[in-house]
Amino acid sequence: MQLTSMAWRNVWRNKRRSWVTIIAMALGLWVMIGYAGLVRGYLRQMERQILDVEVGDVQVHAPGFRDDPSLYRRIDDAAAIGERLGAAGFRASARLLGAGLAAAEDNSSGAQLIGVDVAKDAQVSAVHDAVDKGAWLDPKEPAGVVVGRYLARTLELAPGDELVLLSQASDGSMANDLYRVRGILGPVGGGVDRGGVFLTEAAFRELMGVPSGAHRIIVRAPEGMTLPAAKAGVVAAAGQAEVMTWRELLPVLAQMFDAVMGAMTMGFLVVFVAVGIVLLNTMLMAVFERIREFGVLKAIGFGPGAVLGLVLLESAVQTALGVGIGAGLSLPTVWYLQRYGLQMGPDEGITIAGVTTSRTWYAAPNAETWLLPIAVLLFVVGAAVIYPAVKAALIRPIEAIRHR
Amino acid sequence: MNQPIAELRDVHKTYRQGAVEVHALRGLSLAIEPGEFVAISGPSGSGKSTALNLLGGLDAPTSGRVLVEGQDLGQIGRRRLAALRRDRIGFVFQAYNLVPVLTAAENAEMVLALQGVGAAERRERVARLLAEVGLAGMEDRRPDELSGGQQQRVAIARAIAAEPAVVLADEPTANVDSETAAMLLDLMGRLNAERGVTFVFSTHDPRVMERARRLVRLVDGAVESDVRR
Repeated sequence: MQLTSMAWRNVWRNKRRSWVTIIAMALGLWVMIGYAGLVRGYLRQMERQILDVEVGDVQVHAPGFRDDPSLYRRIDDAAAIGERLGAAGFRASARLLGAGLAAAEDNSSGAQLIGVDVAKDAQVSAVHDAVDKGAWLDPKEPAGVVVGRYLARTLELAPGDELVLLSQASDGSMANDLYRVRGILGPVGGGVDRGGVFLTEAAFRELMGVPSGAHRIIVRAPEGMTLPAAKAGVVAAAGQAEVMTWRELLPVLAQMFDAVMGAMTMGFLVVFVAVGIVLLNTMLMAVFERIREFGVLKAIGFGPGAVLGLVLLESAVQTALGVGIGAGLSLPTVWYLQRYGLQMGPDEGITIAGVTTSRTWYAAPNAETWLLPIAVLLFVVGAAVIYPAVKAALIRPIEAIRHR
Repeated sequence: MNQPIAELRDVHKTYRQGAVEVHALRGLSLAIEPGEFVAISGPSGSGKSTALNLLGGLDAPTSGRVLVEGQDLGQIGRRRLAALRRDRIGFVFQAYNLVPVLTAAENAEMVLALQGVGAAERRERVARLLAEVGLAGMEDRRPDELSGGQQQRVAIARAIAAEPAVVLADEPTANVDSETAAMLLDLMGRLNAERGVTFVFSTHDPRVMERARRLVRLVDGAVESDVRR
């Protein structure tokens, strides 16, 4: 008679109670795996929106530009910095920034003018993928611009429409020109959505009279490099220019990221503490209603280790079934959430701290999506079962046999 | 005279029931010799079950010594005590106390399994044993499929399977009818006579006392009489 076989039969002595325990574990695990997949998806979406679309890992500005974003505060040696960053394994692209007025027929609105090197910008930013209608910039068509979605709505623009941009050039003259809308962006971020107008680098320089330099360099770190290491690398290449990581540029979002991780941990704890209490209750009941039996087992020669092993095995059987069922249920659930997502907000997406995310919340599972909840469940089960198991193991046979 | 298989030497046992101290045994000395068929009788509270529990290492004396095959149970650890109970002492309880999820054969072979006896040998020895106690063909029945008498036979088979030095039986006939009690006593008498198994009973049952070849009567935790027949 093997201990495992005895444990298996003991589990099914009270089928209803065992199934309640197994189902509690399975449901807890199922919820937590789905939740872990969704949270990772949310963080990935946010990260992609922040890092890929607009901000990059690190940005370089001329000293003082962040406090006073003037057309005249430029990084003069932006091209040289870009080359040094490229040599150090970073991807980098410079942008030109200015402010102006955008007008179409009878409508006008303030605009943020962004000049980009179309080819290089595509290596550091996914904004070109965020075009909702029309197409992205083409260096062969310098009069073509791409506008943010709310600006397009304000000015009633559609791809192919004409757009006039007005500003003050760097030499103090009136800057104005007629452009044609090539594309309208989908959700990108608060500032770009409300007033962003993307131009080719050449078109910006011509309009604003900026022959050289750049206002911002967006830098992407090599895969796997930590943010502090990336900043150190960029500082080494950037000389006197001001270098900031995305966490320094967007502290509110950085805190929110950390808070989401904290919330996920709390969610794990709440669900698993509930499962742990159910399990503790079950195991205590299973031990206390069999006190006499444990006494007899000890009387006929079961040592404390054998009794401990028996109770732990019974718990292991239930846990294995709970994990199997919970993980099994989670497979189609996570697949569905990864493919179709959850509709969580208004059509235009949700904007937090100037960064807009899609209304559809997708799961982004990886091995940790399963391993972390399973590891936490095993820990909780271990913590819940150890007291009744030790109690059963250390009980004195005479007290147990007399127990009523 | 043989060395005693089990022995109580000047044993005192005191329990505390709330604020009251109960003296269950008062300087009891008793030696059980190999091959004996002993009944310990006495009124309720006389200390007979306590004496049996001490002999089996299930309980510890307040003072005095308990020896099994010369080993002082007060001097050995929890693990060695468990091994001693497994290898040298068999127990038969009033309420049978079989493990309900195990079959008759599995219950009977449990001690052998704990000793590490191989599955084939266990099966063969237990089949023989169950046939000897009149349960041939019932090996695969669970306790709830057996009568009280049949369950007690399985308990006896479990107690003697590992060929212990002594079998301690606490009121083994208390929960069965007269006919079954007589059958159980025949069985244990035969095992004692044919296999030399030493039996020590605690009992109220006059039928057990009649069959015993040594009758120890306890009163107030001490031996009132000790008669060999």
